[in-house]
Amino acid sequence: MGRNPIAIGAAAAAAVLALAGMIVSAPAAAAADADTQCLACHGSPGMEKQLAGGETVSLSIQGDSFAQSVHSVIGCTGCHANIDLASHPPAESPIGDKRAFSVAMVQICRTCHNDQFAQWQQSVHAALVSEGNPVAPLCTSCHSPHAVIKGAAEEMDTVPCKTCHDDIFTAYATSVHGVLRSSGVTAAPLCFGCHGAHNVSVPSAGQGLKDVCLGCHTDARASHRNWLPNAELHFDVVSCPVCHAPKAHRRVDLVLYDSKTQKEVSEPSGVPEFESATGSATAPRTGLDPQTLWTLLSKLNGAGVEGKTSLKGRLDVSTGVEAHELAGSAAAISDCDTCHRAGAAAFQSVTISVAGPAGIPISYGASKEVLSSAISIPSVGGFYAIGGTRITFLDILFVLALLGGFGLAIGHLALRVAFKLYLKRKPQQQGKG
Amino acid sequence: MLRIYVHSLPVRIWHWINAAACVMMVLTGIQIRYVGLVNVVSFRTAVTVHNWIAFILIANFFVWFLFYLFSDKIRIYHPELNPMKHFHRTVRQIIYYGYGVFKGDPNPHHLSLYRQFNPLQSMVYQIIMLLLLPIQGFTGILLWDLNRFAGVVTALGGVRVVDTVHVLVFIVFAFYIPFHAYLGTLGRTPIEKFKAMFDGYEEIEEESAEGAE
Repeated sequence: MGRNPIAIGAAAAAAVLALAGMIVSAPAAAAADADTQCLACHGSPGMEKQLAGGETVSLSIQGDSFAQSVHSVIGCTGCHANIDLASHPPAESPIGDKRAFSVAMVQICRTCHNDQFAQWQQSVHAALVSEGNPVAPLCTSCHSPHAVIKGAAEEMDTVPCKTCHDDIFTAYATSVHGVLRSSGVTAAPLCFGCHGAHNVSVPSAGQGLKDVCLGCHTDARASHRNWLPNAELHFDVVSCPVCHAPKAHRRVDLVLYDSKTQKEVSEPSGVPEFESATGSATAPRTGLDPQTLWTLLSKLNGAGVEGKTSLKGRLDVSTGVEAHELAGSAAAISDCDTCHRAGAAAFQSVTISVAGPAGIPISYGASKEVLSSAISIPSVGGFYAIGGTRITFLDILFVLALLGGFGLAIGHLALRVAFKLYLKRKPQQQGKG
Repeated sequence: MLRIYVHSLPVRIWHWINAAACVMMVLTGIQIRYVGLVNVVSFRTAVTVHNWIAFILIANFFVWFLFYLFSDKIRIYHPELNPMKHFHRTVRQIIYYGYGVFKGDPNPHHLSLYRQFNPLQSMVYQIIMLLLLPIQGFTGILLWDLNRFAGVVTALGGVRVVDTVHVLVFIVFAFYIPFHAYLGTLGRTPIEKFKAMFDGYEEIEEESAEGAE
């Protein structure tokens, strides 16, 4: 198996520099001299280079910023050990395109930050990189390599997540967590507090995030049990922001789920009912109706299929932005009627989710009738909210039963009275006759 | 007229607890299911009351079950072991309720100590007590703590299936309770049967008493 020459060079350089730093301080000055030599050219503003693919890459480094960064200790050659001054700059650029270069340079970071790299490899970000997503974040996307300041990622103003997730960060900044953090309460979580710094998980995998919430709010389970009937069920089926982001829109997310593997199933390609109802890139999505959903599940669970595919329901907020609009506990929804009533806003939007690339769920629209149709009893067996998703057919039966119970009694009574009057009158008429 | 002591005190206590609990279960059930349409008490209060009464009802069911299982009173549910005779008497009772009662025909059922129920009553009560109430109690317990009984709920097809069964039985009770109360007025006087369920005594014709099997 071949080794990455960039990584080997960087490791060697880092090791030598670290050792030198431990023995005497003079080499540090020497390293600074080397950096000065690099910055003589790269410190010039506007220095850039055209790549073979036509992209332009900036080669300009702000000397002051680099001097203040944690990486100033290892100097330029700490990462760029493969630069041979004798042939630098090369006649032909070895860099094909910026993205490929950045992806390759990730291995340099790994040399010193192996633990963080291992965590990143487990993250949704790394999964997206593997999928070939051109904007999925690499180390350098979050940590500007020439200006890394220790602790910068932990500050509201400089947290790197907001570069890509700006709308979410704006929502967070005005949330109870964001406001507390801004006022200096470091116990209030910043992005990484809930999502992890490097092992960022798929946010919509709500169960995991619920555990994150409970990680800090350790008394939440007990306090909910004091007033919330079936509290544990609510914890399982309702994501925290549904009640704690009171202004958020809500939706029911029905996840296609393999009961054998206990995992989400991927898009059931080849099932015509699914493809026609959920649409494609060119066709509009009309959403799955109860009948189609039932047919779809029947197809997925056809004869000879191992493991039963079912739907696991969960009440969630509509968007990731809304999931961050968390309010203080006093403003949280605690009125059961909000959801447990017919026409509740929470049940007007329904999605069917399947596991997409990198574990990120793909959601398709479904008609809200899938929650209230009698046809859905077997197909959406795993999700039901009393009052909120009641089955219309049962309501009709109930009205008929009430009318029948009272109507039969009143009708029978009326007939008895009528017969009694008739029989009373009959002998009198016979007497007159 | 002969006055006989038919309904013993435990049976009367059981009956009225059962009646009150069933009515309350239906009413709180309506409140739980139709929040917004019915707003007598809050959803949470309705759920709490519904749960507590359910446990009273379940305990009361076992009082009934054990009382009849371990006493000779069980005979009142099966006074006639011949299925053909039972069938004929059932048909006769249906004809009476559907036609004879309007003409003023006498009730074909003659009450005695061990023939308290007419064949229709006996059949309906057994369906309710041995089938519907246990189903309702079982599904209700599952719904009461879905997480604790998650395995059973999943095996039965999920919470929606369990709830649907619970609601279907609720619908039967919603039909039956008013009709049962009405049938109680079909004695010789409208309040005779109600009174008997309070003091335990029923009045019967002396001829009936003599002719009773």
